[in-house]
Amino acid sequence: MAREQSIRLTVNGRVYERTVPVRLSLADFLRDHLHLTGTHLGCEHGVCGACTVSMNGRSARSCLTLAVQTDGAEIVTIEGLRAADGTRHPMQQAFLENFGLQCGYCTPGMLITAIELLRENPQPSEQDVREALSGNICRCTGYQAIVDSVLAVARDTHASEKRESA
Amino acid sequence: MKPAWFDYYAPRSLDEALRILADAGPNGRVLAGGQSLMPMLNCRLLNPDVLVDINRIDALNYLDVTEHHLTVGALVRHADLLHDSRVRDSWPLLFEATKQVAHPAIRNRGTVCGSVAHNDPAAEHPSVLVTLDGTVVIAGAAGRRELPAEQFFTGILSTALQPGEMVVAVRYPRPPAGTGAGFVEFARRLGDFAMAGAAATLMIRDGVCERARLTIVGMGEGPFRARAAEDVLVAHRLGLNECDEVLTEAAEKVRAAVEPADDVHASAFYRRHLAGVMAKRALEMARTRAGMH
Amino acid sequence: MSDARFINQKVVGSSVLPDEAIPLVEGDGRFLNDIHLPGMYHVAFLRSQHAHARIRTVDTTKARALPGVITVLTGKELLGKVEPFRSMPNRFSGGESVQHWLAVDKVRFCGEAVCAVVAEDRATAEDAAEFIEIDYEPLPVVTDPRLGEQEGAALVHDTCPNNYLIKREFERGNVDEAFRNAYLVVKRKFKIGRKQALCLEGRGCVAGYRESTFGLTLWISHQLPYVVRHYLANHLHLAENDIRVVVPHTGGGFGQKASIYPEEFVCAYLALRLRRAVKWVEDRLENMVASTHARDQTIEVAVAVDRDGRILALSSDVCVDVGAYSTYLWSAGMEPLQTAGLMPGPYKIPAMRYLTRGVATNKTPVGPYRAVGRPSASASLELLLDEVARRLALDPVELRARNLIPVEAMPYRNANNLVHDNVNYLACLKLAAAKAQYERLRVEQHSANGKLRGIGIACYAELTGLGTSTAVGPGTLLQPGRDAVTLRLETTGVLSIAAALPSQGQRIMTAMRQVACDELGIALDGITCVNNDTAMAPYGFGTFASRTAVFGSGAVIQAAKELRRRILALGAHLLQVPVGELTIVNSVIQTIDRAKTLPIREMAERSYFSAKNIPPELNPGFEVTSFYDPKFGSFAGGAHIAVVDVDAQTGEVNIVRYVAAEDVGTIINPAVVEGQIIGGIAQGIGEALLEELVYDEAGQPRTVTLADYLVPSALEIPRIELHHANTPSAALGGFKGCGEGSIIGALGAVTCAVADALNRRGGDIHDFPATPERVLKGLGILPNET
Repeated sequence: MAREQSIRLTVNGRVYERTVPVRLSLADFLRDHLHLTGTHLGCEHGVCGACTVSMNGRSARSCLTLAVQTDGAEIVTIEGLRAADGTRHPMQQAFLENFGLQCGYCTPGMLITAIELLRENPQPSEQDVREALSGNICRCTGYQAIVDSVLAVARDTHASEKRESA
Repeated sequence: MKPAWFDYYAPRSLDEALRILADAGPNGRVLAGGQSLMPMLNCRLLNPDVLVDINRIDALNYLDVTEHHLTVGALVRHADLLHDSRVRDSWPLLFEATKQVAHPAIRNRGTVCGSVAHNDPAAEHPSVLVTLDGTVVIAGAAGRRELPAEQFFTGILSTALQPGEMVVAVRYPRPPAGTGAGFVEFARRLGDFAMAGAAATLMIRDGVCERARLTIVGMGEGPFRARAAEDVLVAHRLGLNECDEVLTEAAEKVRAAVEPADDVHASAFYRRHLAGVMAKRALEMARTRAGMH
Repeated sequence: MSDARFINQKVVGSSVLPDEAIPLVEGDGRFLNDIHLPGMYHVAFLRSQHAHARIRTVDTTKARALPGVITVLTGKELLGKVEPFRSMPNRFSGGESVQHWLAVDKVRFCGEAVCAVVAEDRATAEDAAEFIEIDYEPLPVVTDPRLGEQEGAALVHDTCPNNYLIKREFERGNVDEAFRNAYLVVKRKFKIGRKQALCLEGRGCVAGYRESTFGLTLWISHQLPYVVRHYLANHLHLAENDIRVVVPHTGGGFGQKASIYPEEFVCAYLALRLRRAVKWVEDRLENMVASTHARDQTIEVAVAVDRDGRILALSSDVCVDVGAYSTYLWSAGMEPLQTAGLMPGPYKIPAMRYLTRGVATNKTPVGPYRAVGRPSASASLELLLDEVARRLALDPVELRARNLIPVEAMPYRNANNLVHDNVNYLACLKLAAAKAQYERLRVEQHSANGKLRGIGIACYAELTGLGTSTAVGPGTLLQPGRDAVTLRLETTGVLSIAAALPSQGQRIMTAMRQVACDELGIALDGITCVNNDTAMAPYGFGTFASRTAVFGSGAVIQAAKELRRRILALGAHLLQVPVGELTIVNSVIQTIDRAKTLPIREMAERSYFSAKNIPPELNPGFEVTSFYDPKFGSFAGGAHIAVVDVDAQTGEVNIVRYVAAEDVGTIINPAVVEGQIIGGIAQGIGEALLEELVYDEAGQPRTVTLADYLVPSALEIPRIELHHANTPSAALGGFKGCGEGSIIGALGAVTCAVADALNRRGGDIHDFPATPERVLKGLGILPNET
């Protein structure tokens, strides 16, 4: 009976070996087995985006991924965004400085999605940002401060790149 | 919302997958991207006894471009199409439609073939496959077979797949020169299930429409090939910016022919009206892209 | 207010970065589902799939036998052991509705909890629930309140004739005469669909048995911890002081987490009975049917005006579908009474009359949701005013300006008995119109562009920070209005603030810290706040009705006054200078010329550890608790202008411009306030265009996932242009609440904008949300009956 399986995966740079029920979602695995509770569950059907993590370099809904599917995978969650010395990721810092969160429940998914956006499109327009984030629901902010946070990072990155190349 | 128990297999070869699928019978399911399947499992709308995860079958992960065809293996994600400049340049209808599938995280995992096999009436890929005269490649314990797209989609959430079979690839012929394409859909919010949409291609030569393909999304039974509308267009003069009357007539044919269903997002009446609007807009886009031919 | 002798840089009024957001942005939040206690059990509820049915038998044998299942609780077991929820007494009640925590003889809505399965993990509990066998006898279903209130209709509660859970008639002034003598009478119907708050985090609780010294500790995602404690004691027959209620980080509240629900109370009972911690997390499918709904109103409103468009009288008929039970705490009266009673808004209404009722149906019960009845009330009146403007060939802004309560008339007692003061509605309207360049908008609207453009204006009044003089829930016996704060200087001279005013993102802790900083001169980074734990905070009613800034800050100001007096008294003694020469700057007690200084830290150490050297009357302890009652509420106000483009082929509505001018009193933290306002506007846009819970005629919910119930994404909300025309309130600090006003303005502005667009083609719209289909019907492109 194939109802439990062993997996070996990397989460936020650390390797874990665990045996998990096959029906366990990646979200519940991260939260309940690895005690990385930063990733949140808002709907468990893939719509709200709060559970979004990075899997093998791409954003993915952890509520729609089975833990057993992540054998050999590299996962990054909100807890893995900070630098080794504890400094916040520029996106986290921007969300803080621009009031890009209120209750904080959607924030994990917003951060992962926004970071991916800027990797693919370093100088997005406001419309680009809104479109990229349209799969992440926020009920508190009305999105404006979140959009401003993302644009601030794009601006700062652009400015520091200009300085470096000058 | 935790799924019921199932047995889980992650075979590394297609043969092994097909064997497990055959043994599983009607209560086995293929797990590819999981973006349609897992919500149903989490909601306990579906309780398969066996889940066959095909994500370890490297042989299914390919995107092949030749002079005549684009072949997309079962593990190609929506996002993979969007990252491929060959798709963007030579299969613009497919590219545009894929951009409108859900949201980035869904596109990163969800597969083209999975969408085709699922055949949600509001999905983009089935209609695009029909419009592009595509082919579905099926594998089962008895071997491989291929079906033209139109024969593959048999009804709401239904396909010609027999128990133990799965879609291993879809194939799109290269659109002939002089073809313009247009994909439009209208949903309540970007990325939601389309209330109606249209996938259109027009091949124009010397101002005359030599070939027209029009498929309507969201009409309840799967992709709706609007043949009556196509007939109106073929052999007609479709001058750039001068074809409004003909396109309007084609849209009317669409309205007259579709038989959409009522649901919580839209009544049948509204969908029918919307189908005509989408058809016309898609055709306008296709005509413009067909350019000065 | 703040003493003029302070020479710190004031922090009230600046967008101080909220320390409380740091754990959230780093992934270290502690939300309910993040709590794990050793040996904790998990609960899943079996819920009714029938809208109305008698329960004949319940067989839990097979479920109990499943490995990993601890027990299955039914309603029968709870009979006699706990108190069910009897509808909150209300002066205007119809009959009584009794809600058992787990249904006993009847289920009255799809989603009502029938059994509680306790297991070692949630998935197993859900597995077991599928093995419970229940024999139901279906009963006739009531889904249309207009039919449900007729004679002979099936009854949801035998004790409530006509299915009225609430009914009230009201009249002030001679309304009939005003209508008879009016230059013009205009009537209009307005319908708004059923909504829900859609917090991103559902409800949930962990009930702990004998965690530390308390018999029962309940961690609960909730807005009113002390109120929860009170009712736990009452309904479980426990000693109130043996209960601790803790609110963890909360993913949204908006009023949906301000009611008392059965599920958490069942968990408390189970924890005590099983002597183990018990956890329940509401998943999204549950949340769609088990947490309170809102709105779902049909309003017929009429206004009598003179030839200049001035309102002579207002009359309304309000019918609210309040669902199957009168929700516990606020009652079914909340929406119906607020909608009708607060309809005048910011306008001078000399005479008014209303008939309002909350009709029970076999649907999820209705509870408070951001601004409760005010958005519907405002939108129905604003749409009516636009119609008046059209009939009188008056500009809609001008018509409103003529009717807004002017500052010169204040304090102004309106026909609904509310007194308006310290608020400038007209300034907000003028500011919004100026910033939007309103005249140009009208010109652009009419220039042909293929676009069907509409402009909507809405003015609102929002009574915030209500003290004891005005009931938050009209007619309810629960009268909040006094909340306390404790300030304590610690041994190292840092300041702790404690209050029972939990936050769901409003940054209440930051606000109170900012106020304390200014009042006391203690450095901001030396001030912390705890606001979520009955074991640590003095009594407070909690977070609702736009009150926390007023109450929390007002209580801080009061307590700080006394604490400052004590600090300076001891400081004067230790420094040997007269009290009048001292001030506190940056945590240092000092003479104004800084010749003599004493760090607060040192004073605190001496106070705690060298007390024998201090005269006792100067060392009474540096902990002050103060209850604050602002008595009257503070009116906030605003004017919103929305510009929409309507696609006449698809019915799509696009908001192309949004300008809001608000009066939210003295602002503590501008960025936080801006976030609240924009968040409220986003929810109002959702109400106007997208959100609707649909039931079929059998009472089955048809919108059961987030793919069906649509809330705005980043693409549906435009960039909001926000401006302020603030008047300080009469409350301490001049503060007002701002959490709910903007949703009122947004529903009004967007519904009016859509109607304005349709009116350009001779169409109109009365039913909201303005779905594409309703828009096309309003344009006559689709027939009305399809």
